[in-house]
Amino acid sequence: MKLHIIISSILLTLFVLSFSSFAQKPLSGLEVIQNVYNRPEGKDQDGTLTMTLINSRGDQRVREIKQFIKDFGTEEKKIMFFISPADVRNTSFMNWSYDAEGRDDDQWIYLPALKKVKRISSDSKSDYFMGSDFTYDDLGDRHPSDDTHKLLGEETFNGEACYVVESIPKEEDYMYSRTITWIIKDKWIGLKKEFYDENDELLKILTVEKYGKINDYWIITHSKMHNVQKEHTTDMLLENLTIDAGMSDDKFTERMMKRGI
Amino acid sequence: MKRNYTDKRPVKMSLFVLLAAGTMLLTARSTVLAQGIQVNGFVRNYMGVLLNDGNTYSIIQNTIDLDLVHSTERISLKANPYLYHYADAELEIDLREVYMDVYFDNVDLRIGKQQIIWGKADGVFITDIVSPKDVREFLLPDFDEIRMGVTALKADYYLGNHTFELVWLPVFTATLMPEEGSIWRPAMDFPITPEFDYSQQEVEASLENSETFVKYSAITTAIDFEFMAGYVWDDDPTMHIRKTMDPQTMQLTGLTVTPQYHRLGIGGGSFSSTLGPFVVRGEGAWYAGKYFNIADPEVTDAVVKKDYLHYLIGVDYTLWDIKLSGQFIQQAILEYDEAIEQDEFDNTATFLARRDFLRETLTLELFTYVGLNNNDALIRPRIYYDLADGLEILLGANLFLGDEGRFGQYSDNNMGYFKIKYSF
Repeated sequence: MKLHIIISSILLTLFVLSFSSFAQKPLSGLEVIQNVYNRPEGKDQDGTLTMTLINSRGDQRVREIKQFIKDFGTEEKKIMFFISPADVRNTSFMNWSYDAEGRDDDQWIYLPALKKVKRISSDSKSDYFMGSDFTYDDLGDRHPSDDTHKLLGEETFNGEACYVVESIPKEEDYMYSRTITWIIKDKWIGLKKEFYDENDELLKILTVEKYGKINDYWIITHSKMHNVQKEHTTDMLLENLTIDAGMSDDKFTERMMKRGI
Repeated sequence: MKRNYTDKRPVKMSLFVLLAAGTMLLTARSTVLAQGIQVNGFVRNYMGVLLNDGNTYSIIQNTIDLDLVHSTERISLKANPYLYHYADAELEIDLREVYMDVYFDNVDLRIGKQQIIWGKADGVFITDIVSPKDVREFLLPDFDEIRMGVTALKADYYLGNHTFELVWLPVFTATLMPEEGSIWRPAMDFPITPEFDYSQQEVEASLENSETFVKYSAITTAIDFEFMAGYVWDDDPTMHIRKTMDPQTMQLTGLTVTPQYHRLGIGGGSFSSTLGPFVVRGEGAWYAGKYFNIADPEVTDAVVKKDYLHYLIGVDYTLWDIKLSGQFIQQAILEYDEAIEQDEFDNTATFLARRDFLRETLTLELFTYVGLNNNDALIRPRIYYDLADGLEILLGANLFLGDEGRFGQYSDNNMGYFKIKYSF
């Protein structure tokens, strides 16, 4: 009887300890970033993207794009139609990205002056998109396996409880030496992100100005990228957003690239 | 086209015309916008100066190019009128395109005058032979201005990213060649001054003389490709040459050159794929029954009919933010006769380097054609700068190296030029 009580006590203690250990085990940096990567954003969405480029003198240039995105399971397809400025109107860009680790995106551009769809290399992810402060890679969903992630701690930012995660690219000579992201705990939204250049100097800060729940999905609709070294900012606004409208697969074809919006 | 350009009116005159026309256009634009017609286009001034010829102007051209579109869900109407105003030549007004699109679930129809562009090559025309070329200023204008619209019925059937295309051209449209006296008139080597007989040049507009093209194309994750075939007319005329000899001295006393168009069969294809950071492109076509000039006195009209291959391999790559592109092109005449004036193998290479600066507002570009048979070249350095959104200036040069060949023949035409373009 005494033995039975001792065994029961040990089992109970182990259970309580293991439960409390499970409950309090902090997430790893990788798990946090995976939660951000896997945050549902709907099966498909379309909207108008307005980028305002603001230089150090306050001069502004505006670029307007209509974009369509659809999740096909293991791949995501995106098509963008350039609306302004006038000299790039009717240019379109299509990107197919894949969940498979290490698999490059497929990209095409339609140039109305050439009346031709051209396959382009997706290797230039460090190129800035339309002269903005966002690179092509900044705009895409970077796969968590591309970086080594470390949870630096937890902070309250803009009134939101956040995880702070440092991500160091595995690829040598990547355009950033590291990034630090503030991620809202219960929403898995990156509220702020700092980008450090190859010399580990702060290069850019991305801040989310507005996000909200649309069709039960947390969606960022307004963000700003500020290049602190060049005193240049890009304001990015996503409007007229439609989610899960049942977009046709045929939207992501050469036919649509040529036809336009 | 070389014009006289004795008119030494200051530059501001042509700019004035440009700006005045632009103002009128913008006023008109708001009116048609209200009627559901989308109006876009550009206004441009283009000035070229010959560098070897006392800085005379090779061209002063003001352009208005409009894109008028009215669209509904199933129908789209488009017109692309343009106007070229020259300092010393007649005003040129025409429609580059005017057509109607009809959209069905899996089929699109395009009926009317249209530019049809095929192939994967840049700046080279191999399978891209549906729309003929306007080469009045050689290959110097923008490519959308080199390609002429053709009256056509085009039907596309889509199966996802696979496309089956049928093009029927009821009327033949030939390459638009430089006029006599133009500095861009290709060199023709004759022992004596020939007489030209243009009586055979017309291709009668009839059902028998129509052209038909078919194409199957697809874009996939691994590769993009096209297969095409056509029963067409050669867009460039064959020069049939008749000699008159003095029967006593056997000396050449006369030459009659009769330009004539001939039928061609063509089959070919192209592909484009990525290999890591490289984009690899290829294109080739087999031309059945193309005519070539031959220096054999026994051959009637000094022309011979041969099959002919034209193909290309190209690579695009980005290095230190510089977009690089190279192409090697070969033309090969099959069952070659040594007396044919064109080389059995004619090799050309192209090279492009382009880099953007200042947030894509400044672009430096160098495009070069190199003729490997004649060691000649066309080198085209260009600087683009966006003064504001839609307002672009371009400074460039066209430098022809060599003494003969496709590019060397224009070695006296080295030019510097300036363009200012406002897109709206």
